[in-house]
Amino acid sequence: MSFVPAQTVSEQAAVEQPVAGKAGSGKARRGRAARHKAASFAGGLLLLVLALAYVSPFLISVATSFKTTADATAHPLSLVPETVTTAAYRKLFLNSDFPLWFANSAVVTVAVTAGRVLLDSLAGYALARLPFRGRGVVYAALVAVMAVPSVVLLIPRFLVINSLQMYDSYAGLIVPLLADAAGIFIMKNFFESIPPSVEEAARMDGAGPFRVFWSVVLPMARPALITIVILSFQGSWNELSHFITASQSPELFTLTKGVAQLSAGALSQGTQYPLKLGAAVVMTVPVAVLFFVFQRRIMNTGAGAVKE
Amino acid sequence: MSGIRLPRRRRSIHSGQAAAGWLFMAPAIVLLGLFLVIPIAMALWVSVSDWGGRGNPFTGAAHFVGGRNYAELLTGDGLARRDFATSLRNNAYYVLLVVPLQTVVALGLAVLVNRKVLRGRGLARTAFYFPSVTSSVAITVVFLFLFTASGAVNRLLGYLSIEGPNWINDPRGVVHLALSAVGVDSPPAALRSPVLGLDVWDWLSGPSVAMCVFIVLAVFTTSGTFMLLFLAALQNISAEVEESAQVDGATAWQRLRHITVPMLRPTLFTVITLGLIGTWQVFDQIYTGSQGAPGKTTLTPAYLSYEASFTSQEWGRGAAIAFLLFAIIVVMTLLQRMVLRERDTGGRRPRRLRPSATAPKGGEQA
Amino acid sequence: MSPLTFRPAQQAERPGRGVGRRALLTGAGAAAALGVTGCGTGFRDSPAGSGGGQSGGPLRVLIGSSGDAETRAVRAALADWSKRSGIEARLSVAADLPQQLSQGMAAGSPPDVFYIAPEEFAAYAGNGSLEPYGARMYDDFYPSLLESFRYEGKLVCVPKDSSTLALFINDELWRRAGLTAKDYPGTWDELHAVARRLSSGRRAGLTFDPQWQRVGAFMAQAGGHLVDRRGRADVDTPENEKALAFVKEMLASKALAYPGALDAGWGGEAFGNESAAMAVEGNWTVGALANDFPDLKYTVVPLPKGPEGPGTLQFTNGWGVAADSANTTAAVDLVRYLVSANAQMTFAKKLGFMPSIELLDERWRKEFPKQSAFLDGVPYAQGVPPVKGIKEVLAEFGAELEGLAGKKPKDILRSVHSALKAVTG
Repeated sequence: MSFVPAQTVSEQAAVEQPVAGKAGSGKARRGRAARHKAASFAGGLLLLVLALAYVSPFLISVATSFKTTADATAHPLSLVPETVTTAAYRKLFLNSDFPLWFANSAVVTVAVTAGRVLLDSLAGYALARLPFRGRGVVYAALVAVMAVPSVVLLIPRFLVINSLQMYDSYAGLIVPLLADAAGIFIMKNFFESIPPSVEEAARMDGAGPFRVFWSVVLPMARPALITIVILSFQGSWNELSHFITASQSPELFTLTKGVAQLSAGALSQGTQYPLKLGAAVVMTVPVAVLFFVFQRRIMNTGAGAVKE
Repeated sequence: MSGIRLPRRRRSIHSGQAAAGWLFMAPAIVLLGLFLVIPIAMALWVSVSDWGGRGNPFTGAAHFVGGRNYAELLTGDGLARRDFATSLRNNAYYVLLVVPLQTVVALGLAVLVNRKVLRGRGLARTAFYFPSVTSSVAITVVFLFLFTASGAVNRLLGYLSIEGPNWINDPRGVVHLALSAVGVDSPPAALRSPVLGLDVWDWLSGPSVAMCVFIVLAVFTTSGTFMLLFLAALQNISAEVEESAQVDGATAWQRLRHITVPMLRPTLFTVITLGLIGTWQVFDQIYTGSQGAPGKTTLTPAYLSYEASFTSQEWGRGAAIAFLLFAIIVVMTLLQRMVLRERDTGGRRPRRLRPSATAPKGGEQA
Repeated sequence: MSPLTFRPAQQAERPGRGVGRRALLTGAGAAAALGVTGCGTGFRDSPAGSGGGQSGGPLRVLIGSSGDAETRAVRAALADWSKRSGIEARLSVAADLPQQLSQGMAAGSPPDVFYIAPEEFAAYAGNGSLEPYGARMYDDFYPSLLESFRYEGKLVCVPKDSSTLALFINDELWRRAGLTAKDYPGTWDELHAVARRLSSGRRAGLTFDPQWQRVGAFMAQAGGHLVDRRGRADVDTPENEKALAFVKEMLASKALAYPGALDAGWGGEAFGNESAAMAVEGNWTVGALANDFPDLKYTVVPLPKGPEGPGTLQFTNGWGVAADSANTTAAVDLVRYLVSANAQMTFAKKLGFMPSIELLDERWRKEFPKQSAFLDGVPYAQGVPPVKGIKEVLAEFGAELEGLAGKKPKDILRSVHSALKAVTG
């Protein structure tokens, strides 16, 4: 699952307000306060237990990645390794293709994110502000395209990539991921929300459409652009099926593809849980960093995303 | 500036804008066309061809075979239909359990996290949402470890004196298990008749124990995302409304049921739609975690489509599976839209809070 | 040039790699091929024209490797051949061989020479992806092995090695259970008895994977098979039922446990970490055990006889040559070298591979006296029938076998039979 596109959130803002009821007596209120306290204690406890349940798989993975294989099998629940060993990480980084996978994932993610930011904002701006013939049709097509499930594209994308002679190359990994209807949609909605007067002024000064877009509108679009960055980064870092179908050489493996095949036992050499979990931990770190950096923006759905 | 020049200039701006509009759109249109529209057309052709994975399917290496690939899947005698039916069964149970569970869990989490009185809500919210940002490959690897026969989950169950199953290796369906617990081990003759190449008895197996792991995994990774959607909606329900309801004498449960849930209708709709679309396409977890094993009970149409094409050289069949899956998703979404819309009449209208009066209606919605 | 034409991927991003180099070196040829595809005659025709082999360029070899040792050994053999032929041969190791091969074929840029499994063979032979070079080989391969690589009467590929199933026995656990060399099981009953005796607590007496590739040996011992002499499906038979019933019985008595139930990925691993005392495995397990569990002491004996005498399964991989290879002559020459007695004996010494040619029988036994059980099985071993769609049928069989404990053998056989009948006709 991906980050929530800001749209979906803002759509929800349009909930109509019911009419408020009448006021009640003070006595009832006091009785309720006591019950309230008990309820809030129970609620807090529940919250704590649930939060622990959600976090524990990650804690266990980190702990296990520092265990020996025998220790991992014998004490799967323990959060403290019997003897701390970095063997799994050493093997990953010094003795496998893992660094290559990491580098490939980084290259693809950065390229896709940069490309999407540019293309989505260009197209979003055109749809929102530049009246051109056929805009309605383009917009309708965009919405239709968004409804196509990605799984349907698994085979045909391979055919197209192959026909374009991009199969098994970085271009094949990157370019198809640049097509991002949802991102265009987000940018369009954002641009529609800024007052046109700003651009009008710039236009009156004789600035061309690209100037207006580049030096007036785009700088104002930072919040929306950050949304695109987050979505694209996370989407392409975590992408799997496209990478499976777009390349075959071991030199082009990304983290997801490499680790998935490691897990599927393609390099079958036993269960090697510390190694696999170490890989899972490392591949989680970049998105985790992104998540914590932009946490406010992602989580403050009430204020942030909706306003967008 | 003279009055004559202004309109002219405006016109030039306009035509300039129109050109710029197309220019700005061009890269996106080319990319979307190339990688979304054309592929679908190409796959449609492959799905009615006999392309065997060698040579160019568009210049003579493939021949038109009409609906043969589709017929093999729907009416054929071989494994193709049986596997397709098996994958449909597996995925149907997956959808049937994941969609309601993730919706209810997400709503529950949102309500919890939205309560102003509780401390540490921010941290909890982070904890709930974090699984949603991590890659499905990484999470699947983690779950495979947690659910081994002597793994963390079974240790925990052990503390409760429950002997956990060998999760990911257990192909037995939970309905079959439940039946065999009450002594029904083999199907009555009536359930032996095959539908789409699979006995009715096998259709009714329920998700396998292994599939249950993927169901838990899905709820774990998606509930955070949907929690945020519900949270956004909840925050739009003004505190005033809640307050007035409290004053009205409604209990917390009644408030949830009669005010919050009805007002969350549109969000509910979105969550269920997204859930349906997402759950019918499960692929990454299967590719990483089980590749359809044990006993093909985690085989899904998406994975089957991949497997048919990319490892069995049956590209036509693979493409046909993808389109059938597409059709299923569309039909499901439309169906859900119809059902929820019918119930929607009146739901959106602002209404006065009268718990007793609204009870029957609320019961229907819960 | 229409954007929708296929041609070998050009890989501009990585000029150092084989494909890129090949595309560069054969620039003229590639351009010609492009012209042909552009006209719509189809990619299928072009390699036949250019496949004479005069175009040079390195050969690309794709293997699925069991580990570093195998990769190194194959690389050394390729280097040896290159020295003689003057043609470069480049090795890549696939993480997922079937998928990579399939995508390479579909992309029109397959490797020139590659491992091909018997299960995959017929699908590729059927769509014309494989160069049928069998007639150009002259070593004395075991006849039974060749059967797996015949398609429509033509020998398409040759086997690169061989193996059969045998019984692995953990010496220490055997001794501790009070058993001696006299107790090595010769019949089903004896096997069941010792397996029971060896199992305790979480440890199983015997393990093997729930696949035809293991259970099929018991079918053979009961006189059963997958296809009859004419290649028709013949699964739903009393012989096969007897075999499955026996396996089910061993599961029920906990003498046998599948590796999954022992938290292991495959039989060899369960045997290696001693969660099972015996395993039905092939000789590739010898290398894996030496690698992962170097201290384990074990003995390999032939599988017990069944009601109809001895029976086992044979395993092999073939050397495939792509029909779309730009240099099939060189590719076939490379294969000829790789299956030669010298090369196979080198592989045997380095990796323990069993040869695919009879000539080496005695030398191999001398080299590996402890493993002669594997060679003993060769004369009567059954292989994978070369039928298109067999891979899916075997997968179905495996899926059914996973649930054997709760199913009727007859039901399993009936459903596998109908699936196999659909592909054998």
